[in-house]
Amino acid sequence: MSYKAEADGADIPDEMKRTLSLHEKLYNSAAARKLFLLIFLAIAWQLYSMRVDNPLMFPSLVDTMAGFVEVVRSGELPLRALASLRVIVVAYAGGVILAGLLTVFAITTRPGTDLLEILTSMFNPLPAIALLPLALLWFGLGYPSIIFVIVHAVSWPVALNIYTGFMGVSSTLRMVGRNYGLSGFAFVFRILVPAAFPHILTGLKIGWAFSWRTLIAAELVFGVSSGSGGLGWFIYEKKNQLDINLVFAGLLTVIIIGVLVEGVVFKFIEERTVVRWGMKF
Amino acid sequence: MADNVPSCAGAFLEVRNLTLQYKTDRYLVTATRDVSFDVGESDRLVLLGPSGCGKSTLLKAIGGFLKPAGGSIALNGRPIKAPGADRGIVFQEFDQLLPWKTARENIVFAIRQTRNASREEAVEEAQALLEKVSLARVGDSYPHALSGGMKQRVAIARCLAIKSKIILMDEPFASLDALTRQKMQEELLYLWTETKFTLVFVTHSIDEAITLGTRIIVLSPHPGRVVDEFSVDWTRGPEEYGESASLKERITQILFRDIDYVI
Repeated sequence: MSYKAEADGADIPDEMKRTLSLHEKLYNSAAARKLFLLIFLAIAWQLYSMRVDNPLMFPSLVDTMAGFVEVVRSGELPLRALASLRVIVVAYAGGVILAGLLTVFAITTRPGTDLLEILTSMFNPLPAIALLPLALLWFGLGYPSIIFVIVHAVSWPVALNIYTGFMGVSSTLRMVGRNYGLSGFAFVFRILVPAAFPHILTGLKIGWAFSWRTLIAAELVFGVSSGSGGLGWFIYEKKNQLDINLVFAGLLTVIIIGVLVEGVVFKFIEERTVVRWGMKF
Repeated sequence: MADNVPSCAGAFLEVRNLTLQYKTDRYLVTATRDVSFDVGESDRLVLLGPSGCGKSTLLKAIGGFLKPAGGSIALNGRPIKAPGADRGIVFQEFDQLLPWKTARENIVFAIRQTRNASREEAVEEAQALLEKVSLARVGDSYPHALSGGMKQRVAIARCLAIKSKIILMDEPFASLDALTRQKMQEELLYLWTETKFTLVFVTHSIDEAITLGTRIIVLSPHPGRVVDEFSVDWTRGPEEYGESASLKERITQILFRDIDYVI
């Protein structure tokens, strides 16, 4: 669209406008366009798998959905998803808190700033999963190891974004805060955090994506010992049992949870905060 | 430098031999040197000068954001050491409102941070102030939805809300269009007649200085020094407009006298 009007045009006189036809409206809706693409991809999947005709290598959409419904009904898949979610909530919260503490230390002291800059530039490029062997050595086979790795995956991108956000708070807003006599934690939480919230939210989103991937990857390597592993272990197990349609169902679940958190939870927070405040970038 | 710095009886804000310096990455910059002036209660003092005369830096120092390299600033006889709500500030930048709070909540926040007031009292007071700056209808709007003039009105209302002893304004109307600017000047004068707050107003516009000030201090640049001071006689009526034109001429001459500089 070359020209986009600001308002919906309700106050424009009737003789200047006509209502859009149904297909114009559908074409304007991103959701409708994406739904159409999704349906197209699903059909392509089904047709391709029918052509390959090898359920071991490439199960069809119908087989995958049937398997998906079956493991959801039996309660196996929800249980595994729940196990993964339980771990990630703990580890994600831990990572965010650690990142917050590091950043507050970084903005209040000069050595803190240097420390954060060194640590983030060192650890941000390091895939968290690469620490798993070490974690296994230190914490043994079990959830502490996974949590260690996820905290590592979350902390650095979140810390980096909070720090960037804090640094970017305009000197005018800082002066307004100090003019009201705010200092210390009150200044951080009443001025810096909301002012830097667009960056903080970006950090939280990136941290979520990193931690979710890391969790599934860690569970793949891992599950060996734990009887009730998470989604990653579910995928690994089903591959060993050659239930490839269930491997696909597991992957689909990983995707769905990832998209739901991103598209529902974070979207909700975004609408309530940075969009409402006109601070979305 | 003017030798006729008058010492008002009961000076409210005293600036004495003030030298201000700040550091950039490579240099130590002297913004003002040896600046002295007094502000009496209910004065409307305008600091007028071209860019580079340190007038904004001067205002930041009065705000307590910058420590003097020499000289002193005292409010009510007490030296200024840190920022505080006894000096309200209106900045030039439109982003001075907290973007995550509505216009009304911006004022409520200011009240609740600086004074002992219950939420209900603060909300009521905020609404009254919004009405005073003719923004009663947009109290629930977030700053990004307000025009530049509206944002500056909220900022002024917020300043009145904290009931500071003195209000410092740093070119608050400089980014507004000419018509809005003129209207805002009229409104500011109207608000002043109501509460008679003490005002220190920074501008580089001679017209604005003459319109708003009861006293005008003219600063020269590089570094900022006081070159002259004028009192504007507010008892004369609008029919004597000719005099303000001659005042403008005199100030223009002073500003251009030793400066090959365009304001």
